[in-house]
Amino acid sequence: MLSKSTARNFFLGTTILFSLVFLGMTVDTIRQTPKRTNAHNLTPLVAQGQKIWTDNNCMGCHTLMGEGAYYAPELTKVYERRGAAWIKMLIKDPQAMYPGERKMVQYDFTDQEIDALIAFFKWVGEIDLNGFPAEPDLAPKPVAVSGSSASAQSAAAGEPRPGMYDSICAGCHAIGGKGGSVGPALDDIGARMTEAELDEWLADPASIRPGTTMPQIPMSDDDRAEMAAFLAKLKG
Amino acid sequence: MSGATVMGPKFESQKVAYWFFATCMLLFSLQLVYGFIMGFAHMGYDGLHEWIPFNAARATHTNLLVVWLLTGFMGAAYYIVPEESNRELYSTKLAYVQLGSLVLVGVVAIIGFHLNWWEGRKFLEIPRELDYLVVINVLMFLFNIGMTALKGKRYTTTNMVLISGLVSAALLYLPGMIHFSNQTYDSYFRWWVVHLWVEGVWELIMGAILAYLLIKLTGLDREVIEKWLFIIVGITFLSGILGTGHHYYFIGAPAYWLPVGAFFSALEPLAFLGMAMWAVTTARKSQRNHPNRLALYWTVGCAVVAFVGAGFLGFAHTLPSVNIWTHGTLVTAMHGHLAFWGAYAMIVMGLITYAMPNLTGRKLYQSRIAHSAFWISNLGMISMTGAFAVAGIAQVYIERRMGMDFLAVQKEVEVHFFGLILAATLFTIGIILYIWNFIQYGLPVRSQAAVEETESVPGDVAPAAGPAMKRSLS
Repeated sequence: MLSKSTARNFFLGTTILFSLVFLGMTVDTIRQTPKRTNAHNLTPLVAQGQKIWTDNNCMGCHTLMGEGAYYAPELTKVYERRGAAWIKMLIKDPQAMYPGERKMVQYDFTDQEIDALIAFFKWVGEIDLNGFPAEPDLAPKPVAVSGSSASAQSAAAGEPRPGMYDSICAGCHAIGGKGGSVGPALDDIGARMTEAELDEWLADPASIRPGTTMPQIPMSDDDRAEMAAFLAKLKG
Repeated sequence: MSGATVMGPKFESQKVAYWFFATCMLLFSLQLVYGFIMGFAHMGYDGLHEWIPFNAARATHTNLLVVWLLTGFMGAAYYIVPEESNRELYSTKLAYVQLGSLVLVGVVAIIGFHLNWWEGRKFLEIPRELDYLVVINVLMFLFNIGMTALKGKRYTTTNMVLISGLVSAALLYLPGMIHFSNQTYDSYFRWWVVHLWVEGVWELIMGAILAYLLIKLTGLDREVIEKWLFIIVGITFLSGILGTGHHYYFIGAPAYWLPVGAFFSALEPLAFLGMAMWAVTTARKSQRNHPNRLALYWTVGCAVVAFVGAGFLGFAHTLPSVNIWTHGTLVTAMHGHLAFWGAYAMIVMGLITYAMPNLTGRKLYQSRIAHSAFWISNLGMISMTGAFAVAGIAQVYIERRMGMDFLAVQKEVEVHFFGLILAATLFTIGIILYIWNFIQYGLPVRSQAAVEETESVPGDVAPAAGPAMKRSLS
């Protein structure tokens, strides 16, 4: 029968042995981390972004590298998914981007602070995370598109889109079934509104339809004209 | 254990534990309130968003848990260490000062969370300035406990395992205080605290309290019980130290952590299985018909629920091929709730159930309220785990594997949060009954030691607030 002193030695032995192995592996992890995390890209701006991330407990709602709370979206690849312009707009007024949806705290960050956060997200997105987050493996293949939207897709695909469309508009609106579902699909917006109406609408949505959930997107007159011209061509 | 019926604990200073336990009850109640705030927010009822945004509710909920469990461990130590060392506590006054300052730091931290003052690192949100105060507080505690054991010169295994667990927990708090701008390092060393606490040294504390309760409640040979304590905590460290690797899969650490973390964390349930078998077999062999049956319920229940919650449900998503999908989803909340309840909340509540009749001299062993509290709270927590499981598994499939948008998925699982709130209501009823029973016991009474030596107060105890209060009660 096992004696108490043998049991104690088993406890002490395993604890010491595995602590040493763990420390050894930690040393090696520290050795490899700069390369895996692209530490040379960890600029003061990224560090500032990390500090803003921590100081405001963003992890209390979001996850980053899968760590945090489960109330708000995973942000590891947010830079790749949304782009800088979209992130900036969201942080400035989260409720405007997701009207009536789950709320995010409205922070009064300066433009410089938002740039730091975005730099931090870009840096995190480039870390070698051993395949996390994985691409959805059971996602429906985008082959079977129904008749009308298939034609819309081909019509829209032919049009060169302003750069801003993909970074901002697609967050809420869809063309040919691709994009967000917060706002209406835009496949036939050109058949419903003229270019002039679209331009006016984009300049100040609330003045045309009070109470609309469409936010006023800050853009130059030229950008707005280009966007209105593009949208006017979408006839469904 | 106590022979006389009207007397309190063996040693006068053990009464300190009562105030730690009472603090536990208070903090635990507040933790539940914040749990409900989050549950309702998940259902779309976020009316408190302006004042208590989700991240504040979340930090408060988890930190209250950590603080009340640590308060419970400290209370347990103040109860167990004098008895195991066979002497009064080194300083009762220091213990009260320590409790007061702990509560003060906790209250300041929680108010701070609501004012956006924190360090947003999961489970370690207490701001850096307060971290230093926590360290001083814990040093006071360890000094008091350590001096008691040293002066007692009776080094039982249970006592030594308990104290080494407490000391290691304090030491492991330090890596969490190092600042890193590199998120990978930040996460890597944060788990040194969080993982090596809950799947490491806290299990020493839990194992020691279990051993103490089993010795007291079953009357079986201390040597045999303590031998198995060594084996179990040995398995804990054999699996748990390298099992930290299951937190290192996807944070930027090297890929070898996947097989290493998978292998060793797959062994982690063995420690909990060992604990459950140890508690069940010891209880069945019991030679003493201890009147405090309910304490034995909590003791054995703790070991069994810890195996299910921490062991089995932990294993359910610990392998990398599963974790790549479940990492960062509600599946983690499912495991977390039953694990903390079984392993740590139940052990503290078990010790309180054992200690209360001894501290207060009131032997309310047959209380129907206390029995209902045990069954209702457990049923409630198991149901909550079920609600989290359904929501989590749905989220894994429709969001992670099928690519549905996050917010759309949250709408899909809202209904399961209604289920969660129903289950949480049941759980809360159980906890209210437990606290009601706690209040029914009343305040601690004079100890056996004090009754024997009526004229003299122990030399190192100044007539301050604590002792004065005690005198007025006796």
